[in-house]
Amino acid sequence: MIHFLYFDPGLGAMVIQAIVAAVAGVLLFSKNLMYKIKVFLRVSKPEDDVFDDIDVKESDIESKSNSDKQ
Amino acid sequence: MTSNNRHSSSFRDPSGFIFIDQGLVKRSISPLYFEQYNALKSTGFFKKLHNAGLLISHEELLASNDEVIIQPEQISFINYPYEWSFGQYKEAALLTLKIQKFALENGFSLKDASAFNVTFHKGKMVFIDTLSFDFYQENSPWRAYKQFITHFLGPLLLAKYNGLDSLKLMNSFIDGVPIKMLSSMLPFKTKLNPFLYSNIHLLTKFEDKHNEDYKGESKASHLSKKAQLNIIKGLYDFIKKMSLKSTSEWGNYYDKTNYANGAFDQKAEIIDGWIKQLGAKTVIDIGGNDGTFVRKINQELQEALVCDIDYNAVNANHILVKKNKETFMLPFVFDVLNPSANIGFNNKERDSFLKRIKAYAPDVTMALAFIHHMTLSGNIPFEMSAEFFSSFSKHLVIEFPQRTDSWVQRLLNTKGEFKGHFDFYNINNFESCYAKYFILVEKVAIDNSERVMYVYKAL
Repeated sequence: MIHFLYFDPGLGAMVIQAIVAAVAGVLLFSKNLMYKIKVFLRVSKPEDDVFDDIDVKESDIESKSNSDKQ
Repeated sequence: MTSNNRHSSSFRDPSGFIFIDQGLVKRSISPLYFEQYNALKSTGFFKKLHNAGLLISHEELLASNDEVIIQPEQISFINYPYEWSFGQYKEAALLTLKIQKFALENGFSLKDASAFNVTFHKGKMVFIDTLSFDFYQENSPWRAYKQFITHFLGPLLLAKYNGLDSLKLMNSFIDGVPIKMLSSMLPFKTKLNPFLYSNIHLLTKFEDKHNEDYKGESKASHLSKKAQLNIIKGLYDFIKKMSLKSTSEWGNYYDKTNYANGAFDQKAEIIDGWIKQLGAKTVIDIGGNDGTFVRKINQELQEALVCDIDYNAVNANHILVKKNKETFMLPFVFDVLNPSANIGFNNKERDSFLKRIKAYAPDVTMALAFIHHMTLSGNIPFEMSAEFFSSFSKHLVIEFPQRTDSWVQRLLNTKGEFKGHFDFYNINNFESCYAKYFILVEKVAIDNSERVMYVYKAL
C-alpha cells in the first residue's frame, strides 16, 4: 500500500464512511424491496437509459482483445 | 531510454509520470510502484479493464530495475471536466465508480478519484490514469471517497440545483469543489434526503470537526468491503438517476431558424461537397449545436470535434453519440469568448483550448450560423475572428448571414441606439477582412435565404 499522501483524503471523510455506508445499505435494501414489490404487482417500467449497469460484464472482459484499438 | 521530458501536468502522484517522447505520450513508472504494477499486470486486471474499454490500453516498452515505460493508446484531443455536458459528467462519474467496484472485487482500489483521470475518447468516457490503482487493504475505508464527492457528486448536484454553468467551477477548483462551499450552496431540501445528507452535509461537518487534528491522533477507521461496496452502489444508483429539468434555448433551434427546408438541405450538400473536395478527415465544428450538420456529412470522418456554448445542445449530442454508438464524434462545451485557459501549477497542468486545438490541427474548421453571434453579440471584429479561425486549421468553412437576415436584424435591434456602430457588419467588410488571413476557394449563396457559404484556405 502506498502510504504517502499526495492528496489529503480527509480524516473526517475516512471516519464518516461507516455512517454513509449504513445509510446506503438501508436505502439499497428498501429500493430492492420496492423493486420486488413493483415487479410482483407488475407496475415496473422498463428502463430507457444510455448509461450502463455498474457491473462489468464477463462478455466485455473476455476475448475481444484488440477491438477497441485502432 | 531516458524519460526526462516530464509532462508539466504529471507531478501529483509519485508512482510515475507522463512524458512526451517524439510527440508520443508515454508513462514512466517508478520502482515505488513496481509491486502494484506487476500485480495489476500478472493478475490480468489491466487486460480485463482494457478489454472492457474502461481503461486506456497501453503496451510496455521497457522494463528495467530502475524504470518501467509504457506507451498508452494516444488520445487525439484531451477534454477536461469543465468542458463536459451534464450527461458526459455523469458518464465519467459512473465510470469511476464502476472501476472502483471492479477493482475492489479484484483486490485493488482506486487511490484517487480525480475527474481529470477521465476523458471523452472515441464515443465514451475512458479512464486514463493507469497508475491510480493500489492494493486494497482489508477493512480500510476508500481513501478517494472525499475526492469523489468534491470532483463528481458535488459538481453534478450543483449543476442540478444551481444551474449547468456550475460545472465550470472545476476550472477554478481543479482539486475539487471545496466541500464546505458545496454544502452551503445546495438548497435546504437536500438536507432532508438521507443520501445527500450523509454524503454531503454530514461529511462537511465531519471534515470540519477533524480538520484540526494536525497530529493525526484520530484512530484509524475501519470499514468492511461490503460496507464500501454499499457506498459505491449507492452513489452509482443515485448518480445514474440524476436528471435535469431545464430545456435548451437552442433545443429546437432548427425549428426557429430562417431556413426553408430546401435551403437546409442545400447547405448540408455544399458542406458535404467541400469536405469531399478537401479530403478532410478531421473537423471541428464551432457552434456545432447537437452535431446535426456534421452528421449530414457523407464522407467518412476520422474524428469530429463538435463544440457549443450551450450545455443542453452538447448534452443532446452526447445522447445521440451513445444511442448511435458513434466513435468519431467528440462533443464538448466551448465559449468562443472565453475558451479554456492554461491552468494549474505554473499554468501548465491543464492546457488551454488553443494549445490543444493547435496541436490537433483539424483539417477543416466549420463555423455555421456563428459569425453573426460572434460579431454582434460578442463584439469581435471580423479581423480578429479571421485571425482566430486561421490560427489552428488549414481550411475554414464559414456561413455568413447578411444584414438582411432576420436573426442578424434581431441581434442588431438589441443594440438599440448603438445600432449605428455595427454598420460594419456587411458582406464586403467580411470578405475584405477575411482576405487578410485566407484565400477564397469557393463561395456559394444559399437559395431562398440571406446566407452565403464560403470555403477558405489559410494563408
